[in-house]
Formats: sequence, C-alpha cells, structure tokens
Amino acid sequence: MKKHHYNPDSCIACTSCVAYCPVSAATRKFAGPKMMGPALERFRGGETNTDFSLDYCANCKNCDISCPSGVPISTLNMLARAKQYKNKRRSLLDWMMSHSDLMSKLASPIAALSNFGMANPLTKMILKQVGITDKMSLPKYASKTFLQQFRAFKQQSFPDKVVFFSGCFINYYAPEVGMDLVAVMQRNKREVIVPEGLDCCGSPLVGKGYLDEAVEKARTNIAALKHWFEQGIPVLTCCTSCGLMLKMEIQEMMDLELMEQLAAYTYDASEYLLELHAQGKLSTEFAPVAGCYIYHTPCHLRAQGIGKPSLELLSMIPGFQIEDADAGCCGQSGTYGFEVAKHDIAMAVAEPVLKRIREFQPDFIVSDCSGCRLQLSQGTGFPALHPLTLLRRAYEGK
Amino acid sequence: MKKTTAVIIGGGATGVGILRDLSMRGVAAVLLEQRDLAYGASSRFHGLLHSGGRYAVKDAEAARECAEENAVLRKIGRHCVESTTGYFVRLPEDDPAYEAKWVVACQAAGIPVEPVDLARAHRLEPHFSERAAAVYEVPDAAIDGFRLCRQNVLSAKRYGGKMMNYTEVTSIEQQNGQVTAVKTRNTLTGELGSIECDIVVNAAGSWVGQVAGLAGIKINVIPDRGTLIAFNHRFTDRIMNRLRPPANADIFVPHGSVTLLGTTSSPTERPDDFTPTTEEVLALIDEGKELFDELPRYRLLRAYTGTRPLYCADPTAATREISRNFVILDHAKEGLDGLISIVGGKLTTYRLMAEKISDAICGKLSVQAPCRTAEEALVDDIAPELMQQAKKFFPTAGVELAASRLGPDLAETVQRIQANPAKKELVCECELVTLAEVETVAHDDTTFTMSDIRRRTRMGMGTCQGTYCGLRGLGMMVDNDLARGMTTENLLREFLETRWNGIRPILWGQQMREVELTRGIYGAGLNMDGAVPDETE
Ligand SMILES: Cc1cc2nc3c(=O)[nH]c(=O)nc-3n(C[C@H](O)[C@H](O)[C@H](O)COP(=O)(O)OP(=O)(O)OC[C@H]3O[C@@H](n4cnc5c(N)ncnc54)[C@H](O)[C@@H]3O)c2cc1C
Repeated sequence: MKKHHYNPDSCIACTSCVAYCPVSAATRKFAGPKMMGPALERFRGGETNTDFSLDYCANCKNCDISCPSGVPISTLNMLARAKQYKNKRRSLLDWMMSHSDLMSKLASPIAALSNFGMANPLTKMILKQVGITDKMSLPKYASKTFLQQFRAFKQQSFPDKVVFFSGCFINYYAPEVGMDLVAVMQRNKREVIVPEGLDCCGSPLVGKGYLDEAVEKARTNIAALKHWFEQGIPVLTCCTSCGLMLKMEIQEMMDLELMEQLAAYTYDASEYLLELHAQGKLSTEFAPVAGCYIYHTPCHLRAQGIGKPSLELLSMIPGFQIEDADAGCCGQSGTYGFEVAKHDIAMAVAEPVLKRIREFQPDFIVSDCSGCRLQLSQGTGFPALHPLTLLRRAYEGK
Repeated sequence: MKKTTAVIIGGGATGVGILRDLSMRGVAAVLLEQRDLAYGASSRFHGLLHSGGRYAVKDAEAARECAEENAVLRKIGRHCVESTTGYFVRLPEDDPAYEAKWVVACQAAGIPVEPVDLARAHRLEPHFSERAAAVYEVPDAAIDGFRLCRQNVLSAKRYGGKMMNYTEVTSIEQQNGQVTAVKTRNTLTGELGSIECDIVVNAAGSWVGQVAGLAGIKINVIPDRGTLIAFNHRFTDRIMNRLRPPANADIFVPHGSVTLLGTTSSPTERPDDFTPTTEEVLALIDEGKELFDELPRYRLLRAYTGTRPLYCADPTAATREISRNFVILDHAKEGLDGLISIVGGKLTTYRLMAEKISDAICGKLSVQAPCRTAEEALVDDIAPELMQQAKKFFPTAGVELAASRLGPDLAETVQRIQANPAKKELVCECELVTLAEVETVAHDDTTFTMSDIRRRTRMGMGTCQGTYCGLRGLGMMVDNDLARGMTTENLLREFLETRWNGIRPILWGQQMREVELTRGIYGAGLNMDGAVPDETE
C-alpha cells in the first residue's frame, strides 16, 4: 500500500478538522473540511451537482495535520474539485491562477516591461475584471531567472551532490533564494545539480482542479529526477509547496511509477542541512547576524511533519535572536489571497499572525514559503526573507 | 368505539400493501402497527429488489414472481428503488455445472440474464475479486423498506386508508364464529382502545403466530434470525451476488451511502430477537471476503438482525397454497370467519401478496373492484420546478437524497428553508439531512420518537451513528415542543440505544474509536450513564 494513501473510511467525524480549518473560521461559504472531504465522499459515486463550497478550500492542509485518524481530507477535496471541473469550461481566472508557470515563461524574458505592465492602473483594472484583487501587489519578475543565474555561475565541484528542484516561484520571482541555497550547499562541500527538463511541481494546478495536467507535470518531473534519486542523490526543495507535492501529494492523488522513491529522497533544504548536522557534517562556522527577526511556519511545511528545521538551523547562529510567531495560517495559500472572491477571507485568516508581527515590530519576517512572505510582508509593511538567505549571510559574515 | 371494515395488523411491507390495495378498491381499512412502520423485517432486511436470479434454480415460481414484481416496483415505486442492476459472480471454487443450470433456469423464469465480459465487469466494479471466473448481469435493484412502507401508506391515505402506529393489537374479539373487533394498547402511552370491524388481516410477519393466538388459532411458525452488516461506504455500485446455490453471506447490496452484506440464518424463539452477535458478523466477513478480497479492511458501520417466519404447514389446518413463496390462511376453515392470515413471501413480492389476499377479502365482501396497485405510482414525481428551487438550498447530492426520502414532503421542507434560511443547516452531516427536513418529519402526526425521524430521514444512520445529530435532533424536538410526553432523556436514550444495539457486536477498529467519542460526549459530557450523581436530587 502506498505510504500516503489513506482510507477516507477512517473518519470518525470527530470534527477536529473543522476546529482547525482557518477558512471555516473566516467564512460560512465553505461547508468545512469534514463535510467537503470524508462526509461528502460517501456520496460521490455518480454524477454530482457543482458545489461552489468546494472552491473555498485553500488546500492549506490544516485539516490533514489535525486529523487524529490520518484522513487526507484536503486531498479528498482536491480530488473532488478535479472531478467537478473535469471537462468543464473554466474561468480565465482559474486558468491564470493555475498556469503561472506558462505565463511566467512568456512574461519573464521581458521582465522589466512585464512588471511595468502589471503594475500600471489599466492592467490592474483588467486583472480585477478577471477576478484578481487590486488590494495586493502581484510579485515582480526577476530580471534574470534562477536558471539563467545558475547556469552562469561557476560552482566548485565536490564528490557529494544534491539535486535542487527550484520550482516556479524561485525561478521567476525569487532567484536570489535559489542562489542562496547554492551558496549554502557550496559551503557544506556539496555540488548542486539542476537537471534539465524540470517542470512546475503541479501544486497550483491541483489547487484549481486541473489534476490531469498536474499528473503530467509529476510524470515529467519524475522522469527528469529519477536518474539522480535512483543513485541515492537527495532532491532538495526550498519552496514548501513544491516539497509537499513531491513528498506527499503525488502519492495521495496520483499513481505513478517511482513516486515512493522520489518521496523518499526529497528533502526540504533545511531538513537536509539538519541531517548533515546530525552526522557532524554541517559547517557551523557562522558569524553573528544582527537584527530583530520573527519566524512564521508555512502550513505546507507543517504538513510535511518535519518540525521547524529552519528555526533549529538559525538558532545555531551565535547570539541570533528569532521569535517564533506561532500564530497560524497566513491565509494566502499560494494564489488564494490574490482572488477577488477570496481576498477578504485570506485577510481574515491572516489577522492573528499579522497582528502578532505588527506588535513585534521585527526588522525582518522569516519564512520558508514565498506565498507567506508575500502576504506577511504586504500585510505588515515589514520585509521578509527566506531562512536560507539568513544562513548564507551567517556563513558570509554579512 | 371506532368502526371500520378491515383492520390490518402489521405495518410491514405486506400490511401496508394490503392497506393500499383495499383502500384503492374502496374497502374501509385501518392498519395497526405496534411500533413504527417497518419495525420488523421490512427494514431489517437486505434491501434487495430481487430479479429472481437467486431463486431461479430452486424455486421457479418464486423466481418468476420476483421477476414480474421487480418490473412493477421499478415503475410504481421509483422513489424507493435504486435501479442499480446486479451481477452474479462465479468464483473458481463454485460449481460450473450450477452456472449452466442457473442460466437456463433464469431464462425459463423470464429473468433477463446477460453474460458480462470479465474485463468490463472489473472496470465497472473495480473492487470485486480478480479471481472471478464468470459474471452475469440481471435486473437486481436496491429498495428502501422504510420509504416503501411510508409511501404505500401515503398512497392509501389518498383513498381514505388509515394508519395508526404505536398501536398494538392485544386481542381479537369474536361472536358466533365471526370477528367483531380488536382491542388495542398504545405502546408509548399505555392508552387502551378498540376498533369494531368485519375483517381482521393478520400480516404480522414473524409475529403471525402470536397474533393468530390472540384469536385462539394456531399457526406453526418459527422465527429465523438473519444478520446483516452495513459498511461505511459504497464499494460496489451494483448488487453483487455469488453465483452458487444460495448460502450465507453471498449478496452485497449498495444502499444509499452504504453497502449491506448478508445474511446468516438461525432459528430463534422470539420474533423480535434483533440483537446481532459478533460471531455472526465475523462469519459474514469471513465468507464475504471471498468475493471482495479487501473486505476485512473496509470500515463497518453496524450490524442488524431481522427475523423471517418459517412456516410449517399444520396438517390439521386447511391451507390454500398460492405459491411456495407465501401462503394465505383463511381461518374460516377453522371456525373463525373474518380472520385471514398471510405468511412468508419476500419484500419484493409484497404487492402481489397484497393483491392475492385483497382478492380473497373482496370476495368475502362481494366487492367487485379490481386491483390497481400495479398501475398507479405510489407517490407523484416531484415537479422539476420544485427540484430546481430545492437545489439552491441543499448541499451537493443533498437534493436528490432529500427528494427521494421525502417524496411529497419535499415541498414543505423547501418552504421551511425559504421562510428561514438558517434551516438549511445540516442536523445530520453524515447523511446530509437538513434541519428543515427533520422538522417537517417531526411535525407529522405519526412521528413520536427520534428513531421515527431516523427511519424517515436517515438521520443517525451514517458514519457517526448519531453522535452529533442525536444532540441536534433533540434540541429541535424540544425547541418545537414535540417531545409529546416523553422526557428529553428518554427521547435521547431510545435513539442512542437503537444505535448502540448495532454497534456493540462490531467494537473494533475505527468504529471502536467512533463509539468512544460518542460515549465521551453522552457519557462524560452529558452524564447519560449517571456515573456522576445528580446533584439536584
Ligand atoms: C435478514 C433478512 C433479509 C431479507 N432480505 C430480503 C431482500 O433482500 N429482499 C426481499 O425481497 N426480501 C427480503 N427479506 C424478506 C422480507 O424482509 C420480508 O419478507 C418482508 O419484509 C416481510 O414483511 P411483512 O410485512 O410480512 O413483515 P414485517 O415487516 O416483519 O412486519 C410485521 C409487522 O407486524 C407488527 N406487529 C406484530 N405484532 C403486532 C401486533 N400484535 N399489533 C400490531 N402490530 C404488530 C410488527 O411490529 C411488524 O412491524 C429478508 C428477510 C430477512 C429476515
């Protein structure tokens, strides 16, 4: 049996998932995870009506995390969503929100122009018509993608290799985080490999019910990665949603050859570094890093069930002070907070953590997930960093 | 004293069928049921509308009756029947010679039987054993006994028929060899009553012997226990039968959201011997897993037991054999005119049984009207506009479910939601039952207990087996002042006790955890078990 294939039969209707669902707490439009997951699953035999409530699940996974019976509640939701929308005409919004990889491929080569275009009032108006909120700024394309920067970068070669799965956000919007990872690995005498032929992890597609396309992406990625993980070379992610997809969601939603092996060799980058530390192989030559920091744990990291490895790593930096916000979900859930229909819900979900950060008045917010960083930074006005960026600073004494 | 022409004893399929038939023919009739409709075998059964396939080899006549009635019920009882079709699956260890004999027998009995390509069968039904050697399709279907009984009564009411539940017949009065009246006792309030009548129809199922005994007449019946188990999921969309001589645990029936497996068979003393045992459950799983390899891993919801009357013709009584399937006993032959009993049969053939006995009664009364029960639908179809309206208020899949459960009462339920949209909240999340639906049913003048609501709405019949809807339902009863003389505690106890009766024999795995949650809520949270002394006393 697949490690991450659970039986919806296990639900004892205890309703913990509802108590922990941030969306249920924020809106009555969502019937809640128990209802939309295991309860309705018993009736999803034949044709069912379109259920708009299904659209409100943000796939943040807090239901799965809280379930004492191990029911993959959010996955049942996503599978139902896929079934509901299969062969149906979809809105432009749904398409855009789930195919940002394709849009990025087109827009990123002309990053400056695209960024200008996205920011100008006319575009904003059009986007709003499509269903994208004008209350948030969309992320900006980087002038050079991670892949371009990486290919141009001369690494020192080491016998120990790691494969890096950057994912779309880091590639198009936050290449510096990818380069930070490369620098941190080089410090630890690891050579980073970025294989040809990698594709989007599929997480945004799953979230919008384009399951078939997500399956194709997963197939492509497994094909591109298998040469490496079959030799025992670990696959690193530093986007928590990509990580969750490779480690768990593929197994929960799909049935692909080698998916268990891929999952076994996939590590969150910080998780990997902690393992190195456990083996006495992590360089801990950290210089002090000044400033006041607050850490936010992404839901998709918590769903991986590996604790808060970044926080543990950062605490190794001498004299480093970082506060754990520990104030729940940020509401953004990938692209959820960008949608006009969901933005207010996302902000209601975010309120406790935003308040916590505002009161704490940090110099920087630290979080492993780009969506969380975007949301928290825009919601509070404080800048946000990936933990690997800080780690690199500690190594380089900046 | 009340007066009618015919009193029918027993609110199972047979009794309600007779009530409907007589009412449609213009014979004044009152049906008396000691508990609620379908309290006996008509709900504690397998839910299978037989195609006749099961009986084809052994009893051609029963098979033919099933085949004919199956077609009739699909037509008149559309809202009680789920037209699933069924597979007969032969496993390698089952006798191929029987298969050949069975196909011929089906054809002879007029049962449409089609061989199914194995690959296709597995594609359509992915969970049954890969070992299958042959598969045939027959027009089996699933049928809901609660709904069938209720809708027969609704139909009868339109023709003046009356039904009284919680009314037990305690004696049958006679004068000069002629039935004159029945005496009754309300089983909730103890109130006594009587009804004058010319005819008493004994349709008391497994109790038929006891009821005849009230008139000093002996009918030789032995109740036979049959236990079934309900799984939390539908793992098959068709009825799955084992293609072998009928035996235990060889039929799976998808029924609404659950799958039913049965049955067992063992003689018992009491018609209401309804407590299933763990041994029976384990035996069912053990045999059932031959057809569904993964069966032991599927989540059990509950077990339940019904009884069938095994009739042994008494050599001294004059019987008129209508069919080996059921018998009609006119006790005039034993010196009591006006008492007539019906024994045996199947739920599938209830209408035919009702027709035959109504013919006999009409003969006595010189009523000429012909039987029309096979032509007219039990309840009217729901207007498409109403369905459209309802779709706005119900959760996915909820409209169809509610419509088939409620039938003509859907309109009232929708009105309640329109008047107060908060009433679309679900009381029972497992079976998608809205507050409005529960209220509609609770206000009916034949609803007294929370189990009555359960039988008509499926509230409490899903995964959590009453854990949440018990409390919510009780709140609704109290809010609407519907407790009707029962204390809140007794209302709740009665409801929970029926749930636990089916859960006790299957206390392991997830259901064990489920029941611990229930016990936590009701036992610890509400102190239902009285572990903590009541400080107000
Ligand atoms: C385990 C099992 C599985 C079955 N599966 C199927 C199946 O899948 N398909 C099928 O077609 N058939 C099936 N049957 C057979 C079918 O259930 C019965 O033939 C049918 O339900 C009998 O209906 P009835 O009305 O005759 O009896 P019942 O439904 O038992 O009704 C008799 C009623 O009389 C009432 N009563 C008794 N005494 C009194 C009194 N003194 N005063 C007032 N009321 C009284 C009782 O409360 C009861 O409600 C099954 C039977 C069993 C036991």
